[in-house]
Amino acid sequence: MARIAACWGMLVLLLAAELAATWAGLGIAVCVVAVLMVLVIVLGFMQILRGPPLAIIFALGGLFWLTILLALGSLDSFTRTTVPVPGGALDGPALPDRAAVPKESR
Amino acid sequence: MSDGSVLDHHSPYETPLHRDESAIAGMWLFLASEALLFGGLFLVCLVYSQTRAGGWAEGVRHTNLTIGAVNTLILITSSAVYTLAVEAGRRGDNRGVVRAGLGAAGLGLAFLVLKGVEWGQEFSENLFPGPHFALHGPASGAAALFYSFYFLATFLHGMHMVVGIGLILWICRKARQGAFSPAWSTPVDVVGLYWSFVDLIWMLLFPLLYLIGRA
Amino acid sequence: MSESYLWQDGTLRSWLLTRDHKRIALLYLGSITAFFALGGVGAALIRLQLLEPTGTILSDATYNRMFTMHGVVMVWLFLVPSIPVTLGNFLVPLMLGARDLAFPRLNLLSWYLFVASGLLVLYGLFRGGLETGWTFYTPLSSDYSEGRVLPVVLGIFLNGFSSIATGVNFIVSIHQLRAPGMTWYRLPLMLWALYATSVIFVLATPVLGITLLLLAFERLFRVGVFDPTLGGDPLLFQQMFWFYSHPAVYIMILPGMGVVSEIVSTFCRKPVFGYRFVAWSSVSIAAIGFIVWGHHMFVAGESLYSAIVFSMFSFFVSVPSAIKVFNWLGTMHGGSIRLDAPMLYAMGFIGLFTVGGLTGLFLASLAADVHLTQTYFVVAHFHYIMVGGMVSAYFGGLHYWWPKITGRMYPEIWGRLAAALIFFGFNLTFFPQFILGFEGMPRRYATYPAQFQILNVLSSAGAGILAVAYVMPLVYFGWSLFRGARAPDNPWGATGLEWRTASPPPTENFAETPVVTTDAYDYGDLDARAGRADAGGPHHV
Repeated sequence: MARIAACWGMLVLLLAAELAATWAGLGIAVCVVAVLMVLVIVLGFMQILRGPPLAIIFALGGLFWLTILLALGSLDSFTRTTVPVPGGALDGPALPDRAAVPKESR
Repeated sequence: MSDGSVLDHHSPYETPLHRDESAIAGMWLFLASEALLFGGLFLVCLVYSQTRAGGWAEGVRHTNLTIGAVNTLILITSSAVYTLAVEAGRRGDNRGVVRAGLGAAGLGLAFLVLKGVEWGQEFSENLFPGPHFALHGPASGAAALFYSFYFLATFLHGMHMVVGIGLILWICRKARQGAFSPAWSTPVDVVGLYWSFVDLIWMLLFPLLYLIGRA
Repeated sequence: MSESYLWQDGTLRSWLLTRDHKRIALLYLGSITAFFALGGVGAALIRLQLLEPTGTILSDATYNRMFTMHGVVMVWLFLVPSIPVTLGNFLVPLMLGARDLAFPRLNLLSWYLFVASGLLVLYGLFRGGLETGWTFYTPLSSDYSEGRVLPVVLGIFLNGFSSIATGVNFIVSIHQLRAPGMTWYRLPLMLWALYATSVIFVLATPVLGITLLLLAFERLFRVGVFDPTLGGDPLLFQQMFWFYSHPAVYIMILPGMGVVSEIVSTFCRKPVFGYRFVAWSSVSIAAIGFIVWGHHMFVAGESLYSAIVFSMFSFFVSVPSAIKVFNWLGTMHGGSIRLDAPMLYAMGFIGLFTVGGLTGLFLASLAADVHLTQTYFVVAHFHYIMVGGMVSAYFGGLHYWWPKITGRMYPEIWGRLAAALIFFGFNLTFFPQFILGFEGMPRRYATYPAQFQILNVLSSAGAGILAVAYVMPLVYFGWSLFRGARAPDNPWGATGLEWRTASPPPTENFAETPVVTTDAYDYGDLDARAGRADAGGPHHV
């Protein structure tokens, strides 16, 4: 009971800190707080350390593969040479012309 | 349902503890899988929020921070309340499981209702990407991408909420039949893992959808 | 010993609600055989069309739908599930010495999900089909396609959960349900391979799920996710798609490698050479297989930096693959090799996989890939792995464990004939395609310049032989169910716990939980056991 209340209190404080960091314009701090909140949930609510050792192995495995996905998946986008095309839509306005036609009927 | 504190005759396990640990481990493995399901969304967000930064941040600034923050608070509380059900299950307190379970499910429902209200507002403000998309200007294409991401992410998370609420109600039904005892309350634990995971995902989605572009 | 799992309760209801992993394996066997036949019909029509430079059998649009159907059905409804859900489902508990998989109900659910996904896909394919190819690249699939993209994509989304359920079940079973004395290094290599496969099932499949969901979302609501005209990045779709689909290639080979390890050891009567290397090479193929996917986009506009990284990792993955091949050869070296049908399939696998693997190195090289990509060279390369490799191993495994599954022997002479015919037909079909691709014939076209006709006719002739050779096992397996000789418990003289129980096994698998005291493939122990049985068995003649 006390443990749950403590975790809840910590999460509420962290949420407040997150909002404060947003207001202060500290993007990095927001990310750090989000990670802390995840840790409180995993350790406090899901009690990963009380479960079987396999739980920790599976969780770490998932985290590792998530890292691969995010790191190697974004590698291309972050290292690509973008050649601007006249009239290209990369950061331009949405082109709504084809959008009006329902899909399966075309 | 049979009493889970004894094994039925064709169970592959040696002891109930062996079975229960396997169930917990299996749920964690499934959650690792779920993490990669949402991982794909995080990748989309990572790439577009960097390569189309201006429009993306503009999209973020148009979300409803008040509802988002209140919903985050609701989910934190719901997860905490459900953890009370887990503790009650371990004591064999079936009434406690029902009480806490219904509380957690109710809070989950409140989250979904608020989310629905938020969606309604966004639809009426034409924030759903399409020919009448509300945001104009040079970066509106990327802002529309943000809203594609926003709607799919909240939809997928909402579907997980619906499944979670269903599972909690199933636990409440079992508890009302007096199914759980100090010797066996594994289903309460397993559903708790899922419910907390749905909460965890929101702790990541909330900053991505509401905060990062505002900071 | 109680009755066999096959006949204990023969009602349809008992089969459809079964939680017995052996029965679920047979349910899967029936379903994927049907899908294999359907995909085969697609292949046959494609090869008929390509007999002539301006094929007359199918219109261009129908041709596009046909190769898409062939790819979708073969990949998701046959190859990805094939060995894991049939042989794997049947064997994992038996090899572990367990009564069942860790989550029997989840196992049944996975079959129902599979059937539901199959029906959804079939609905899409038969109510118009789609022309995107099995890769569903955007913006063709999300914007321009006139086919039934949505049901097919959602069917495959559902299919993913079936795979995940199987993967979770196998991983938890192998961790939790090993018999007393069954340490990790005593596991049969089949289980190492299936464990590695399951890791891919669990961690790659969800990414395919979300990718297809994003695609469906884009198509359904006309909102931008990947569509470049709506600000999206179509290459991002390919990155996410191949995050699953390249590891999925290893789903389509690792279980075959497991089967081949078992067969080679048994028919050479020697422990697998370098057991730990073979075991860990499965794991490293699965792990490295996750970081090579970018080699599918070398010419698609991927950044050079990214391409170099992915090219390098792609070369890495050939190391554990080569370790396996050399260790199988090391096992065979000096062994007393028996050339029964399973061994013929296994040897076919080793040769064809080697060709497929080596040609993969051409495609992993940045410069060579520019010339070879999107040609028939690629088609030949991955068919050498998937059909030459995986399907050979699947058939080899089916022959090898058929006596255990059904309690009947298949007719050996026909088995050998089919194995030889498959090997010959396969090479005749696909070897010409290497040359075609090298000479520049692009894939996925309904017509081609006349200079390519001879090689295409050879390829189509091979496909005809292959079709006959694939039908043969169907016929004699069916025959053996009723007329085959009764199988003894251990017809091949193999180690492994599955051979220590009856053929077919009783519902509870083992009369009493086996205790493991030796390494896998310990033939000395097997002989000692047989000696004890001879001495103690009063009815032995």
